[in-house]
Amino acid sequence: MKGMLLNETPVRTSKNFNINDITIENTEVADTINEFNNVTISEFGSKIMLNEEIEKFELKYGLNEFLTNQVNKSANFKANIVVDSKTNKDIKVDFKFDKKNRNLVDAINIVANDGTKSTIVIKYDSDEEVNAYHNGIIKTIAGKQATLNVIVVNFLNNKSTNFLAIDNCIEDDANINYYIIDFGGKTSVTNYYSNIKGKNADSRLNTLYIGSEEQLIDLNYIGELFGEKSNINIEVQGALKGKARKHFKGTIDFKTGCKKATGNENENCILLSDTARSLALPMLLCSEEDVEGNHSTSSGKIAEKELFYIMSRGFKLKEALKLMVRAKFNKILEEIKDDDLKAEILEQIDKRID
Amino acid sequence: MAKTQLDEVNRNIYDIKNKDNYDYKIKKGLTKEIVEEISKQKNDPDWMREIRLKALETYNKLEMPTWGPDLSELNMDEIATYVRPKSKLNSSWDDVPDDIKNTFDKLGIPEAEKTSLAGVGAQYDSEVVYHSMKDELLKQGVIYTDMETAVREYPDLVKNHFMKCVPISDHKFVALHAAVWSGGSFVYVPKGVKLDMPLQSYFRLNSPESGQFEHTLIIVEEGASLHFIEGCSAPKYNKVNLHAGCVELYVKDNAYLRYSTIENWSKNMLNLNTKKAICGKNAQVDWVSGSFGSRISMLYPMSILNGEGAKTEFTGISFAGKGQNLDNGFKAIHNAPNTSSVVNAKSISKNGGKCTYRSLIRITENAKGSKSSVSCESLMLDDFSVSDTVPTNDIRTDDVEFSHEAKIGKISDKTIFYLMSRGLSEEDAKAMIVRGFAYPISKELPVEYAVEMNNLINLELEGAIG
Repeated sequence: MKGMLLNETPVRTSKNFNINDITIENTEVADTINEFNNVTISEFGSKIMLNEEIEKFELKYGLNEFLTNQVNKSANFKANIVVDSKTNKDIKVDFKFDKKNRNLVDAINIVANDGTKSTIVIKYDSDEEVNAYHNGIIKTIAGKQATLNVIVVNFLNNKSTNFLAIDNCIEDDANINYYIIDFGGKTSVTNYYSNIKGKNADSRLNTLYIGSEEQLIDLNYIGELFGEKSNINIEVQGALKGKARKHFKGTIDFKTGCKKATGNENENCILLSDTARSLALPMLLCSEEDVEGNHSTSSGKIAEKELFYIMSRGFKLKEALKLMVRAKFNKILEEIKDDDLKAEILEQIDKRID
Repeated sequence: MAKTQLDEVNRNIYDIKNKDNYDYKIKKGLTKEIVEEISKQKNDPDWMREIRLKALETYNKLEMPTWGPDLSELNMDEIATYVRPKSKLNSSWDDVPDDIKNTFDKLGIPEAEKTSLAGVGAQYDSEVVYHSMKDELLKQGVIYTDMETAVREYPDLVKNHFMKCVPISDHKFVALHAAVWSGGSFVYVPKGVKLDMPLQSYFRLNSPESGQFEHTLIIVEEGASLHFIEGCSAPKYNKVNLHAGCVELYVKDNAYLRYSTIENWSKNMLNLNTKKAICGKNAQVDWVSGSFGSRISMLYPMSILNGEGAKTEFTGISFAGKGQNLDNGFKAIHNAPNTSSVVNAKSISKNGGKCTYRSLIRITENAKGSKSSVSCESLMLDDFSVSDTVPTNDIRTDDVEFSHEAKIGKISDKTIFYLMSRGLSEEDAKAMIVRGFAYPISKELPVEYAVEMNNLINLELEGAIG
């Protein structure tokens, strides 16, 4: 498909800044979505219903109309996950792309009922050779006092295309904590929207990304605060090497009535080559007086002094760089309780920085 | 519960209207015939007439901005783009007609000239009515005159710089400006000359349903130094007025320029101004900006750091009250190694006003070793005002230090409590906090403007914070 426009920001800025949206040239969008069978599901006590009809997703933002329609009409993986037990429940959904399973269009609907606690890990991985295509929507609803952790892991190879839209709705006293590990895809485009409607509702998003070669990573994160004393935290840590490009668009929108709400957004990009490019648009929109909003972004290479210190302890440059990236990512990594998954992520960091 | 009350800008002086007593007013609208007539009225040389006509073509081709405030109320068919007042250019205030002189007297311009300025230019509607500079500067080769005189007397200097820093195709309102510009100031500071006192140009728009399109062109040669102050105001009318000025600054190697602005247009004004500076090696341009007036403002001064070691600082405050939408900010393009930019922007929104900070920091592939630090803070004084921060950061090389931070919030209850526990009344505590918030900006303004700003933000605080 030629010139597909997607990931539009909620507020437009000057056209000349080239960040309002992104046009992906020559995206290979599969016309026919065949079956995708290489999926492993581990469930520990929660209900997961596969391939049932899912109510059509109506997204406030989403990536674009075409991709939303593709999921609504042609999804080859559908899952309704309902968490209804009050003890902690974990689910793992592991997609592995290979020659027979190249195209995945997935629709995942997660409902965490009132007072539940659960962690759901959704992983996308691929063989090195396969030219994978992924387009998915994850819709998450957290009922009152529910705590829902969702870890989305993208380990696709650097030939693949990854499109992901996430849509949250958070009720009173509920939390949704997302962890997005965004390492793969020649093009990886994510749209994240959080409707923080409940009183004391809490939305947290932690992202790690690595871009190498000619990867393009486009992140459009939007949090709308409606509930009193609600909160959003967006923490994004990334590293770019080669000719990789990253667009980060983060919007925290304090709506009228969200008294005593708070919002914090921090994005840090480590530049590991002088041909990588980091473009950021961290927005704070505010139509309520009694709130506190902060954002910060930073970009730059790893300080020579820090590298010198590590190398003076006997490490080679590449090892020192890996250590520094790991250290920057650690704040988010240490929140992931699954040790096996954490080890896998560390392995991928080393592999992709190498 | 009573709310914190912060009075809007006191506009008594600025809203004084004189009779719309002009010598010539062009018919409303924007056509080739109108542009040609303006050119004829101004006795333009051919090259300037050609620029105007080319700019009109560009204006007609370009789209309205698809972002920022809604400009749909602007109807060029309702705007007269050229109004010549009943006054020629004078070098003595005594020769300026009484009604015009009285206006500038009330704005304090002649008094400031005597005490703290090296030169003054005063524009009324579309033409400069007064221009003067101290003799010693003349002897040092400094040129400070109105743009029309510069076009006539220094054609090569003007030709080489006019609409070169800000290209006509930059955006629609730049093209409009180039087509109908009139008035403004031209400053040339020769190599090595450092001015101890500032030059000031003041722009006053009196005529209703008209536009002001002054052009300011400043060239600061190698090793020279200048502080230039720009002030602007207009009385309020019921229909839309338009300001689409253009400022082009050339700051050559090792030179320094500080450009200070207090913008206090009336609340029927659409302020669509464009300002850019090009900096040479080790040159520095500092922008100080106070934005209080206008119904809509879209103003993003830009520093293009083309020389190695060039620096820029932007210090600005916006205050949006009822019915105002102030979309202001800053742009810096780092185009050479070891350049630096520092941005400190603040805004206050109240009574339904909207402030937006919009910016671009671009560090290009050539700008290794560059540094940029951006800080913006917004203060909300009620729950029906709006404050947005929309910064774009475009980093294209690794050898940089870039950081951006922004905060939004109200006056902290804890801070008020702390100050009150030290013996201050609630009102004094709040006043201190708001003045403290604005202080980093006001301390950068020339003294008389800092006093003016403090007068403009007249605090009236009662009761507790709601």
